[in-house]
Amino acid sequence: MSRDNLLTAKDLIPEFIESLAHVGAEVIKLNGKDSVLAYISENYPECITFENKEIWEEYSFSCSKEKLEKLGTIQLEGKFGVAENGAIWLDDNCFPNRLLPFIAQKVIILLDSGKIVKDMGDAYDCVNDCGYGVFISGPSKTADIEQSLVFGAHGPKSLLVTLF
Amino acid sequence: MKGHSYKAGIFLKDESRADWHDKTLWMVRQKRDKAARSVADWEDLRERASSIKEQVLSNLDFYLSEFEQRAVENGVKVHRASNAQEFNEIVYKIITDNNAKLVVKSKSMLTEECGLNPYLEQRGLEVVDTDLGERIIQFRKEPPSHIVLPAIHLKKEEIGELFHEKLNTPKGMSDPVLLTSAARTHLREKFLSAGVAITGVNFAVAETGSVVVCTNEGNADMGVHAAPVQIHCMGIEKLVPQTRDLAVFTRLLARNATGQPITAYTSHYRKPRPGGQMHIVIVDNGRSDRLKSEVHRSSLKCIRCGACMNTCPVYRRSGGHSYGYLIPGPIGSILAPSYNIKKHTDLPFASSLCMSCSNVCPVKIEIHDQLYKWRQELSEKGAFSPVKGLVLKIAGFILSKSALYDFSGKVARVALKGLPRRMVYSKINVWGWERELPAVPQESFKKWYSKNSGKNNL
Repeated sequence: MSRDNLLTAKDLIPEFIESLAHVGAEVIKLNGKDSVLAYISENYPECITFENKEIWEEYSFSCSKEKLEKLGTIQLEGKFGVAENGAIWLDDNCFPNRLLPFIAQKVIILLDSGKIVKDMGDAYDCVNDCGYGVFISGPSKTADIEQSLVFGAHGPKSLLVTLF
Repeated sequence: MKGHSYKAGIFLKDESRADWHDKTLWMVRQKRDKAARSVADWEDLRERASSIKEQVLSNLDFYLSEFEQRAVENGVKVHRASNAQEFNEIVYKIITDNNAKLVVKSKSMLTEECGLNPYLEQRGLEVVDTDLGERIIQFRKEPPSHIVLPAIHLKKEEIGELFHEKLNTPKGMSDPVLLTSAARTHLREKFLSAGVAITGVNFAVAETGSVVVCTNEGNADMGVHAAPVQIHCMGIEKLVPQTRDLAVFTRLLARNATGQPITAYTSHYRKPRPGGQMHIVIVDNGRSDRLKSEVHRSSLKCIRCGACMNTCPVYRRSGGHSYGYLIPGPIGSILAPSYNIKKHTDLPFASSLCMSCSNVCPVKIEIHDQLYKWRQELSEKGAFSPVKGLVLKIAGFILSKSALYDFSGKVARVALKGLPRRMVYSKINVWGWERELPAVPQESFKKWYSKNSGKNNL
């Protein structure tokens, strides 16, 4: 099956949203990327986005870890989402530095709601060759103390997925 | 004898704690059931996972060379270690070549198996386990009691006390949110100053040369992307042929382990980042010997989800530490004897053979059958005490002679009723140490049946 056939189906959106809630992510769906960007700049004015080439360079591999550690909220764009588990694929093309999705306190992932696949079977058909790639499903979490679920083990304490 | 049953006895002395342990793990098992039922083709997935692993084990040499070749093409330095000693030396050399003093490590049962931490620590390096549960037990200088939930044997108050001592948290603070936050601050400092990051490997893909690591905390990625040098350590059995095969395993692993649809992070490391160094160490350490064994090779299919522990009535009521092997529970009980048959003779007996482990295994290892086969092997090798051997011989003899069996039953019925309690429950009656014998029936089943069936033809 071609990649275009897998990505789609409007009926996968509710399942994807439900899965995101299940894994502890916040989620909003707005009409169009512009509305999402407006929503973020209004609600998270301090949010850092890497769309601009200069900022991309600033936070690339040579950026100091101390500087990265001070990051509050960052915004990234995911490649596609998986309905069955709320996972979103991001790879080296989505961030200037592999540490970013983990070291920031809060991560906002933008995702085109037309890019949702049914399950991991379809997901791996959409994964491209890259040096590093990750499925992110919800914020960092642990239940190592008496099985109590706590968000923000090492990575982001919260994850907001903005669908457009 | 300080075997499993002895240590389980100690564990069971604290009844309320044993009960809590049992219930907590059963809750994990129930979450697993719910997650498994949410996938329509679950049984089909298990079947596919099992056959992919079979395929890999039957052609391991081919997949290993393919994997190594691809990884080298990706700019990764690949090392091979035939045993624990070689493995430790290789890792130590990479660390010292890079003048690192602090090493952060995410979960890896392989490094536990090879004793990497003590090896590095003896040589003056600081090794920090970064998974929260692993850090807790590292502070306590204890082995993990579960492969997925390493600190499941501890109460939050004990962890609060530990963090008060080690991380200077307020005395009496035992809220998991606050304790996790204290650990986060402490470990972030370590992540940022480490010279080398070590991870285990969940899956290694032959066709791409990449390794996949699954975590919920994000600790593998924090370590790997912050440190200048990354080392991934894998046993030879971690391979899958293609990227596509990962779909089967990522759908099974977290659901079966903790009931989550997938771990928070499923990271695919293929090439080092610009200016970084990526090493993969492939370890044998007894695995190819197990591969040669027709009987025991299927244990190499294990993906370390821990479901067999959560479901095992013996594990839940005896705790991970009672097994005396780094991997406890049913899977540990079939792995341990292949490493050290003398030391772990008792583990294949730490089971009721109820088959629950085999029923939940995502790669369909017939664990109960392996446990049984180990018992056979151990018995042939004369691992039992002569007393047990003699008792079993007598029992076998009696059971084979119908008249003798009837007679023994009569004797037992009379004796058990008539003898004083302290004689029936004497030291010789090992079975009666921890349990009551069933009430003695008035007559044998045979007699009862012939009376009640209305026919007298027995």
